[in-house]
Formats: sequence, structure tokens, C-alpha cells
Amino acid sequence: MAEKKDFSRVLHIALAGNPNSGKTSIFNGLTGAHQRVGNYPGITVEKKEGYFQDCDCRINVIDLPGTYSLTSYSPEERIARNEILRKDIDVVVVIADSTNLDRNLYLLLQVMELGANTVLVLNMSDEARAGGQKLDIEQMKVLLGIPVVETVGHRGGGIKQLKQAIQDAVANPTHGERLIYNDDLEAALARIGDLLSPGLPADSPPVRWLAIKLLERDQPRIQWLRDNVGNAEDIIQLAEMEIAQLEKNSDENISLYLADTRYAIIAGFMREVRLSEMRRDARRRSEAVDSVLVHRVLGLPIFLLIMYVVFWLTFTAGGPPMGWIEAGFEHLAGWINGLWPAGSESALRSLLVDGIIGGVGGVLVFLPNIIFLFFGLALLEDTGYMARAAFLMDRFMHRFGLHGKSFVPMITGFGCTIPGIMATRTLENERDRLTTMLVLPLMSCGARLPIYLLIIPAFFIKKWQAPMLWLIYIIGIVLAVVLARVLRSTILAGEDAPFVMELPPYRMPTMRAVLMKMVERSWMYIRKAGTVILAISIVMWALTSYPKAPETDAQAEVQEAQALEYSLAGRLGKLIEPVTGTMGADYRVATAMIGAFAAKEVFVAQMGIVFSLGEVDEESTTLREKLKSNYTPLQGFAMILFLLIATPCMATVAVMRRETNSWRWPMLQFWGLTFLGWGLATLVYQIGRLLPM
Amino acid sequence: MSHHTHDGPITESLEDYLETIYHLINEKKVARVKDIANIRNVRMASVTPAMKRLNDLGLIVYQQREYIELTEEGEKIARRVVARHTILRRFFSGFLNVSDEVAEKDACQVEHHLSDETVDQLVRLFEFIETCPEGREIQRLFHQCSTINPELEPCHEPCRRRERQRQMKESMQVTTLARLKPGEKGMVVQISANGALRQRLIDMGLLPHTEVEIERVAPSGDPIWIKMRGFDLSLRKQEAGGILVAKVVPVDN
Repeated sequence: MAEKKDFSRVLHIALAGNPNSGKTSIFNGLTGAHQRVGNYPGITVEKKEGYFQDCDCRINVIDLPGTYSLTSYSPEERIARNEILRKDIDVVVVIADSTNLDRNLYLLLQVMELGANTVLVLNMSDEARAGGQKLDIEQMKVLLGIPVVETVGHRGGGIKQLKQAIQDAVANPTHGERLIYNDDLEAALARIGDLLSPGLPADSPPVRWLAIKLLERDQPRIQWLRDNVGNAEDIIQLAEMEIAQLEKNSDENISLYLADTRYAIIAGFMREVRLSEMRRDARRRSEAVDSVLVHRVLGLPIFLLIMYVVFWLTFTAGGPPMGWIEAGFEHLAGWINGLWPAGSESALRSLLVDGIIGGVGGVLVFLPNIIFLFFGLALLEDTGYMARAAFLMDRFMHRFGLHGKSFVPMITGFGCTIPGIMATRTLENERDRLTTMLVLPLMSCGARLPIYLLIIPAFFIKKWQAPMLWLIYIIGIVLAVVLARVLRSTILAGEDAPFVMELPPYRMPTMRAVLMKMVERSWMYIRKAGTVILAISIVMWALTSYPKAPETDAQAEVQEAQALEYSLAGRLGKLIEPVTGTMGADYRVATAMIGAFAAKEVFVAQMGIVFSLGEVDEESTTLREKLKSNYTPLQGFAMILFLLIATPCMATVAVMRRETNSWRWPMLQFWGLTFLGWGLATLVYQIGRLLPM
Repeated sequence: MSHHTHDGPITESLEDYLETIYHLINEKKVARVKDIANIRNVRMASVTPAMKRLNDLGLIVYQQREYIELTEEGEKIARRVVARHTILRRFFSGFLNVSDEVAEKDACQVEHHLSDETVDQLVRLFEFIETCPEGREIQRLFHQCSTINPELEPCHEPCRRRERQRQMKESMQVTTLARLKPGEKGMVVQISANGALRQRLIDMGLLPHTEVEIERVAPSGDPIWIKMRGFDLSLRKQEAGGILVAKVVPVDN
């Protein structure tokens, strides 16, 4: 339609608010399907943008990370305030949890300090009202001087009024004029401001805000001042004097003084606009649920049970669709095969069938599991249960240099590393998040199961099979926590992120929000992991198909084995044999391992080809026999160890690249784990050889 | 009070004359006996002998019926007198909050009734109050203290707060948040954490005078779950150890 391109203007708005304030549902309510998720450069913080149309304008919305304030201690806060300071932001919408107004208004004050053109949204207003709170909205508008809108985000209530309020703010912009602190503070700010104004560059943030930041001893801003203003040192010195004065007056440290000042304003404000307070027992239902779910004794078992149910559901409910997709791909492959005459040597056909469908299909086949897993996790998240899970697990996780919130992503990794890595988004601290992401592949994922199921029965008698499998998983977990400790003591060393975490009341999740979360994350899995995997699948296909071996008269399977040997992958296998030989893997296994980089399940198929067995799967007894006759149990064990630890599949690499926005971490992870796997497997093999067995 | 020149001390009234002459010269460029008499509210006949004396002392140049000029020495002394006078006046009106006319009058008088030493110290006191930040602080507190100015609103906030804190620390049981048990309540007294943790606690509203209640403790004893400002917060025992609270004991009626 011609109208879509024909706007009279384009506006930019930013949504700010505390975590758990329902910001996401407001964002969804405004932008609907027009959303896009990315990353801020150089940082593992999600960047969410969208747009909507209103009154002949296109309004771009950026959903800022949830923050409690706008200091400079965390990447989220720095990003939020830098975005608000952008000159092209027309309106900042601050979304407050009405059931928690006092603390939520703290952020509002900081946004107003920035001189932003603000609109206040009182979200969850239904809950607040049900709890007994009554507010004088009109008076709020008068005192704050900004538009104030009540919304019920999860039901889409108030969105229309919000859009209108945004238009009002654009038409009559404000810049935090009504926010006036006490005389002492204002005088100090004025004095600093006077010294500051003359030397400021043209596009500077508001003077008053800069003065406040100087009083806060905000390091980034002080540095900015030194870089951009001539008399920076004088100004900084004046600020120090003012700080000393204010501290003397208030008998308090400056950061407390400023926080106190803001809360004092909030308290005064609330006294005027809050006609009745929320009842003390407003959260009694949520508290009742908590008395069970976070019970001193029952809490943990219940948590483990819930996790188990989620995963069980994932794999059982996901089973049939998995089968369908597999069948679907098979049919597709068959159909494409049919496009060429039988026996055709066409490279294109091979590329399409073996390379692309084989490679990409092998990864997409997990889609149903992933979708169900995300559904379950999103459901738990939106009810607020995940915070309780973190609370229960923190002690355990913290001991290993991780965070309570690391637990769920790591458990997810047992199903599939990809969603596990994506689930680390809930970790606020970058170091915690990176540590968790890096060690996640050690949580033995579902794709490696076929490998274990192939190798273990081949070498171990029934009595030892289950314990061996269990041992493998335990080794994975132990290595993960040890590695986490090491990382946190070396390259990711740093102050422990505060665990200070809000526990929102339980809320009924809306299906819409949960499904949107599920779709968003699953789509990411498909799209980004898919593009890289497609590329690598083609490469792997080329490596294993070329150069083509000359035709012989041997049987088809033997020919296949020879072809593999002849190909680049095979040659590479032979090439790295000296290295893999230290852990007892000969060139055949090495070749299969190269193939397994694409996706772990491929290892089994490749082994089948290597041993001239044609098509096999892990149930194949002949393959097991072949293994038994060609290798010792020790070698088998070393093989498993290596595959457990090393070379996370290329989907993992792709997702790491996406989530960390750089190649540094995925490469570190890839080579680090590979080296670790090789090292450990070699160690085990060499020592094992020395022991009498 | 009196300055010593090479010829002997100058009396207070002579100093006053010097001051008057100085002011006249500044304002009108010239000093005439008639003007001096006007300002000082005396008869011209009284002025003349004073002028003679000042002339003899080499502080002014005076020939009858002519304008009076200050010598270098005279000007120096005059300046000094003016400065002290001004400081005293400002001290009286600015610090002591005395009305302007009274301040002006008394500033003049004080010099004649107090010894040099005392006046010097008074001047120093006032200079201290004007320049040293601590001094300005004293002035501020003095002006705002309701015990001295009963018309003011009772109890300036910092006083009250200081007093409260002191009492709290003395009388109540002060312990850390980490040591409180589920069900116990406390009021935050001090936050001794630093850096990112401190900022986070402050941003959440965990400030002195905030009431907190321990809701529960995690199965393994850590972290703890507290209620404050109408919402729930969890933090590690280690983090809670940096928060001093005064235990609030429920009153049984």
C-alpha cells in the first residue's frame, strides 16, 4: 500500500523501566509483530526494537534493558542512559509497576534528571487497584508536569491512551522542569552548572544532569568531561568541594544523600497522590504459593521435579514432530533425488541432498524439542517462578563461580546446547553470562546420546553400560564447574556480580506473551544458527565429497569407504592421525570426528561409512562389532571422552557468535574445549595403556 | 583602638576623623571641614583642632580654608580603620543578624570600647566564618537552629537525624542483616558495602531508616529473602553482612 511509505514524520521513542515491570508486554502491545531483536555492539545485551503507526507517523520503539537506575555500574544501565541521551529520541516512556511505585519512581526521577521528554505509565494498574491502592492521576500529572497513563499491559489495556499520551508529549515536550530538589542540593547544582556551562560542546547532555553526575562521581562522565571540556579539573574540584559540603550538612555519604533526596521527593509526592495504600496482605496469594514452592525442605525437590517435568514433556511431546520433520526431509531428499536420472553423478544433486538437506536437516530436526523447551521455560519465567529457582540454586552455583540464574540454562543444555546458551540471557552480569555460556557444551547434550549408545554397548557388558553412561554425564558436569571456577579466577575474573535480586509476585502468564517469547527464541534458532549451519554444511559436504575417488569394481559400501578416504576430509583425517593417535583414534575415527563437527549425530553415520557399512544408526550391531574388533575399550572410552568435551557442534559456534556479537568467544570456546578434550582423552588413553587391564 | 605613629598614639576620635575624611575623598573627591562637621555631627569649631593635630602627626595635609588631603601614612591608617569597621559591621549584621543601622553604629563604637586585641580577634572570627567552609557551616547552622530562632520550624532535619542516629547506635541492638532470623524485623542503620553492590542496594531503596523483614532463608542457608518497601528481595548472606540494621523488637501491649 502506498500509505505504508508515506508518513508525515518518523518519531523515536524509548521504553525504560524496572525489570519485572511488564515493559515487554507494553512493548508487544505497541509494536505487535513488528519487532526485531539484536545485540548492542560489543556487549551481550539484547537490543529490542520495533515500530508502530499512529496518526500518520511511524514511531520507532526501542525497548531499553530493564534497569533500577541509571548509574554506570552495569552495562544495561550505561546502555539505557546512552540511548536516552541520543538526540533523536523524542519521548521516553517510563513504565512503572503500580504495585511497587515507590521504587519504580526512582527510575522516573533519574530519567527526568536527564531532561528527557517523559511519559509515565502505571502498569499493572489492575493489580494495584485490586490490592487497595487508589491514586489521584490528575494530581500526578500536575505535580510531575508529564502525561500519566494507567495500563494493564498483559491484557493490552491502556495502549490506545498511551499512544495518545506519546503524541501529547511530542506536541508539548517537557524536560524534567518540575523536578526540583532541596535548596542545598539545587544551590550546589547551580554553582557547578555555572562553572560547567561555558565550556560545554554543542551536543552535550543537560547541564543539570552533568552536575548531578559529578556529585555522584560518575566515572564515565568525569572522563567525558576531561576529554571534552577545558576547565574540567576546576569543575571536578568544585564538585568535590560541594560533595564535602553536602556530606557535612547531611552527615551522610554523598551517594546515600542523593538516593535519600530522591526517595524523599518520592515520599512527599506519594503522600499527595496516593489516596489509599495497598493492603498489607495484597500479595497473600503469591505468598501462599511461595510458602510451598520455596519451602525450606520441600523447595528443592519440588524444583527438581518441575524441571524434570519440563524436560520430559519436551522430549516426549517433541518426539512425534521430530519424526515428522525427519520423514519430511527424507521425502524432500527423495523428491530431489528423483529430479535427476538414477545413478546420476550430479554434484548439484549431491550438494542438495547430502550437503544441505543432510546438514541443515540434521539440525532442524531438533526444532520441535526446542520449541517445546522454550515454551516450558517461558511459562515458568512469566509466572515469576524462575526467580525462585535462582534463589534455591544460588548457593550451589555460587560455589562454582556461577550464579543462581545459571542453573536453568545449564539444565537446558542437557537437552540441547543451543537453547541453553540462549537461556543465559537472564544473567545480568556479563562475566557470569560468558562463563555459563562457555562451559555449557560440557552439559552433555541430546545429540551426543547416539554416540554413547553406539560406543558403550560395543565395549562394555550390560552390567556396566548404565553406570558408564551416568559416569559420562557426571564427568561433563564436574568439568563444567571446574572450568567455570578456573575461568572466574583467570580471564573472567572480577567482582562477583551482586546477587541482589527482586522476587516479583506470582502472576498468571498470558498465553500471548509466552507464545511470543517462544516464537521469538525459536525463530532465532532457525534463522541465525541456520544461516551459518547452511554455510558450514556446504563446506563439510565439499570436504567429504571431493576430490572424487576413481571408480572401482568394489561393492558400493566399500566404494563409499574408499571415496571418503580419498576426499579432503579423509585426507585431513589421515593428516591429523598423528595427533588424534595420542588418544587412540586412528584416521577413520578422525575422519568421522571431522564430520561430527557439523552435528554430533553425524559421527555415527560417518563411522558407518568409514567401515564400509553403508547406512547405519546406533542400533546397528554390525557397526558395534566392527568397533569391538578394531578398537579396545580404552580407545572407546577415550573416543567418548573426546566427543563429550571437544568440538561443540557448529550450531553452538554459530549461536555463540550471535549471542556474544564477536568471534572471540566462540573461537576460544571451540579451540579451548577441543584442546581440553584432546588433552584429557590423551591423558586417559596413555595412562590407561600403562595400567594392566 | 589607637595606633602609634612616630609621634605618639592617635585617639579614637582622630581615627574616626581619618575615616570620615577617607570616605569623603572617595565620594566627593574632596574633604572640607564643613562636610566633616556635618557627617560627624559636631561643630566646625571642634573639627579644626582635630585637623591641626592630624596635620601635626603627618597624616593629613591641612591648610586653613583649604581642602584636606590624606598623606600616604594617613591613607594607610584610614584604610585599615575602614576595613575593620566594615568587617565588624558585616559581622554584626550578617552573622549576629543585627539590624543594619544598629550594626553600623555599633561597629563604630566597638573600636572605642574594646582593646585592640579583642577587636582583632573579632575580626579574625568573622573572617574565619566567611572563608572557611566549616565556618560557613557554623553560620548556616546557627541561623537555622530553631532553639535560637524560635520562629523557625522546629528541629532542623540534620540535627534531628544526627541525634536519632546517635541514639540508635547507643541504645538499640545493632546487628547485620545477615544475622537476623526469619520473622525478625530491622531498620537499616548503615550500609558498609562498596562499589557495584552498594549502588545496587541503594537503587533498590535499601537506605538508612528503611524497614526490612526477613521472610525466609534458602534451604542451604543462603541466600536470604527479605521484604522491604512493599516488595521482595533476595541477597546473599555475604552481601547482607554489609548492611547494619537495628533490630526492631515488637512491643507487647
